[in-house]
Amino acid sequence: MSNTSHEVAQGPHHTSGAASTALSAHSIDKKFPGVLANDSVDFDVRAGEVHTLLGENGAGKSTLAAVLCGLYQPDAGYLMRNGKRINLSSPRAGLQHGIAMVHQHFRLVERFTVSENVILGSRDLPFKLNRREINEKVAAVAESYGLPIDPDATVGDLSVGQRQRVEIVKALYQGAEILLLDEPTAVLVPSEVEKLFENVHAMTAAGKSIVFISHKLGEVVEISDRVTVLRNGRVTGHVSGRGTTDTKELARLMVGRDIELNAQRATHATGHEVLQIRNLSLSIDDVAVLTEISFNVHAGEMVGIAGVAGNGQRELADTIAGLISPTSGSVSISGAMTTDCGPIQAREVGLAYVPEDRLGMGLVPSMSILDNLLLTRDRQIVVDRVSVRPEAARLIEQFEIKANGPDHLARKLSGGNAQKVLLARELSGGRSATKLLVVCSPTRGLDVGAIETVRRLINDARSAGQAILLISEDLDEVLSLSDRVLVLYRGAVVHETSGETAQLSQVGAAMAGLS
Amino acid sequence: MMHIPFRVVFEQRGETPRRLSLLVPLASVFAALFFGALFLLATGHSPIDTYSNMFQDGFASFNGITDTLALSTVLICTGISAAFAFQMNLYNIGGEGQLYLGLIGGAWAGIALGDHLPTLMMVPLVLLCGALAGAAWIFVPAFVRSRLGTSEIVSTLLLTYIGASLIKHVIYTPGSFFRNPNTSFPQGRLVADSASLDSFGSSRLYPTFFVALIIAGALYWVVKRTEFGYRINVISDSPRAAHYAGINARRTTMWVMLISGALSGLAGAMLIVGPYGKIEPSIITLGYGYAGIVVAALARNNLGVIIVSGILFSGLRVGGNNLQVTTDTPIHIGVMLQGAILLFALGGEAFRRYHIHVVRVHDATVKKVAA
Repeated sequence: MSNTSHEVAQGPHHTSGAASTALSAHSIDKKFPGVLANDSVDFDVRAGEVHTLLGENGAGKSTLAAVLCGLYQPDAGYLMRNGKRINLSSPRAGLQHGIAMVHQHFRLVERFTVSENVILGSRDLPFKLNRREINEKVAAVAESYGLPIDPDATVGDLSVGQRQRVEIVKALYQGAEILLLDEPTAVLVPSEVEKLFENVHAMTAAGKSIVFISHKLGEVVEISDRVTVLRNGRVTGHVSGRGTTDTKELARLMVGRDIELNAQRATHATGHEVLQIRNLSLSIDDVAVLTEISFNVHAGEMVGIAGVAGNGQRELADTIAGLISPTSGSVSISGAMTTDCGPIQAREVGLAYVPEDRLGMGLVPSMSILDNLLLTRDRQIVVDRVSVRPEAARLIEQFEIKANGPDHLARKLSGGNAQKVLLARELSGGRSATKLLVVCSPTRGLDVGAIETVRRLINDARSAGQAILLISEDLDEVLSLSDRVLVLYRGAVVHETSGETAQLSQVGAAMAGLS
Repeated sequence: MMHIPFRVVFEQRGETPRRLSLLVPLASVFAALFFGALFLLATGHSPIDTYSNMFQDGFASFNGITDTLALSTVLICTGISAAFAFQMNLYNIGGEGQLYLGLIGGAWAGIALGDHLPTLMMVPLVLLCGALAGAAWIFVPAFVRSRLGTSEIVSTLLLTYIGASLIKHVIYTPGSFFRNPNTSFPQGRLVADSASLDSFGSSRLYPTFFVALIIAGALYWVVKRTEFGYRINVISDSPRAAHYAGINARRTTMWVMLISGALSGLAGAMLIVGPYGKIEPSIITLGYGYAGIVVAALARNNLGVIIVSGILFSGLRVGGNNLQVTTDTPIHIGVMLQGAILLFALGGEAFRRYHIHVVRVHDATVKKVAA
């Protein structure tokens, strides 16, 4: 292994002939117990291009990426780097061939500085580190790809976007020519996505190859030179040409059928006020998180809250759900004052709440679907599971949840099915019939098929006359579903518009605090 | 670069196969016995003779099996004490100290309430007082844990040392309420006759054994079937989900710790109504409370399995203790085996959680490509 790696991996290679294939995979098979994760997959990436791997969760994208970077060894098939056959026994071997992966979940030491993290794992470091020299080198690498970062900053103090930048700088510092970015935008806010895409362009301009892994159609179309679509471990299509690709076509290749993502907006007149929020303010540790928020949601109406993550959305939802006591102001649900009275009382007057964190907050991972249905309901001293079981079975069928029955553990559900269980529980009412549904980022991290179902379910709830408060960082989602849109910026409502006439540019400006 | 042709791969299991749940603890016991055999051989004892003696004394004779069940009465109680707290990821390391207080509380009831009450009322009262004393001993750790999040590991452990001093104090202080006034040698004062149970026949096994079995079964049911158990499961898995559902984690934490303390206290009171009849100061050298942690660990904190692990562990201990009497093997062999079993049982967890296999690194292919 050591002999081969040194031949090819030294230094940046010649890239003037931009069309040369940098890395290719041929008929890759990878089996896991019970699943064929990759089924004779072919893939290649050229120097200086962005080649996207698109597919739903579980389609085999991450498995293929793991094979490409040396994390997994394929059961069959082989890799070629610059026309030579290579065998990667570990990610380190991959790195020696100039292949590096930026994982979705960062692998950084929070207490270390940026440059300490960057040099972590390098084997040829002297006993005594020359920090100044290292800092300069790290800064130089970062600068040359438009990734400004302070080498002395402690990683724990950095934002998610900056941490991702550290991961990328680390890969580049280690001499990566081919970067695999695993769902890089999943953790980023829109402005950070924009910056990431600029960095990607800077890297491809310098001859680096980017393998971009995603299931978000919009950004895939924006960033990719070529797209390879995977479904059930197999390649179902190749599409090339930036910006010319049709998202509908990609969605069809991904899911295997036509998809309608834009759910219908409700057309009927809305009813009485279900949720009333008056002058709601919240301070945590003397920092104002919410300031003077007032709005109503009517029966049969969906109000969308748009905003960049961290502008008070989560706290607003938690306050309405009775989990946080506001500093001042009031919340009432169907005429009953629920400020300060806790989640159980709020539910008794018709609240249902689908939090952003499905597993760990909305659902208890180690419990069965049945037990999770009981979480927000009235339980007897001796828990009566027998009488709930038929209802659980019925909900599983009604909400098309893929599970082995009511005893299926929540943590073994896919993201989409977990969300359906959560919606099933919240919409079916527990302590009283649901009148108000608060949903946070309902489709985050879900695949296209599940997004379609979840949006349809929320829409159906609105049609059934429930008041819906949709809080989402996905601006397209908010704009396409809501009857009214409020923009939250630094804890205050800075913009309000009707959903139908909303101007993307105005809402976007308000989200950035420019209105 | 140095090249090792084999690599050990740890692959996390999605689901632990059922047979492993049984196989791993058994294999742990055998591995510990094997380890002990090496030690016996090195010190010039025959492992086969030693083990057969231990088995004989622990399980295969009338005295052996009844002594084993008698000891298991205490260890099942301290075992469920540790395991019950652990249902909510709370580590009650101080079962030992709560057991001392159970002894004191039980002895107080047995002496102070005198001969006025019939046995049928007296024994439950003694047990209750012991349990309350155990619960009182964990009250402060429980309170600061549930309110301030202070580590219960440290607080419960440290209170054990105070508990041991308290035992010494009530026995060695002249004129103490708990000290036998009729002897100059420091001894515990005997409780009233009505507070003592008779053992079965010629054995040293007391009816409290069945109380321990019933309590173990009842707690198993509480955790699996009741609203209280449901809350415990939610909080232990995801505190945020508990908050979301309006479950009061503080109160539940408080209750779980108090019950855990009460169970260890009960174990101490069982010694009062059973074999001791008084505070026996040597209790502080026996480590029954600590042994409960081992029993719980062997049962992987499964309340239903603790009866089995409690009896198994007691048998080893009874057999080990008798070794010194029947052979010249030092008593420490038994103690060492207990330690080894715990170590192997915890190490065995790796096999349940991970699929461990050795793979050949594809050396040949690499060389071919290089050439």
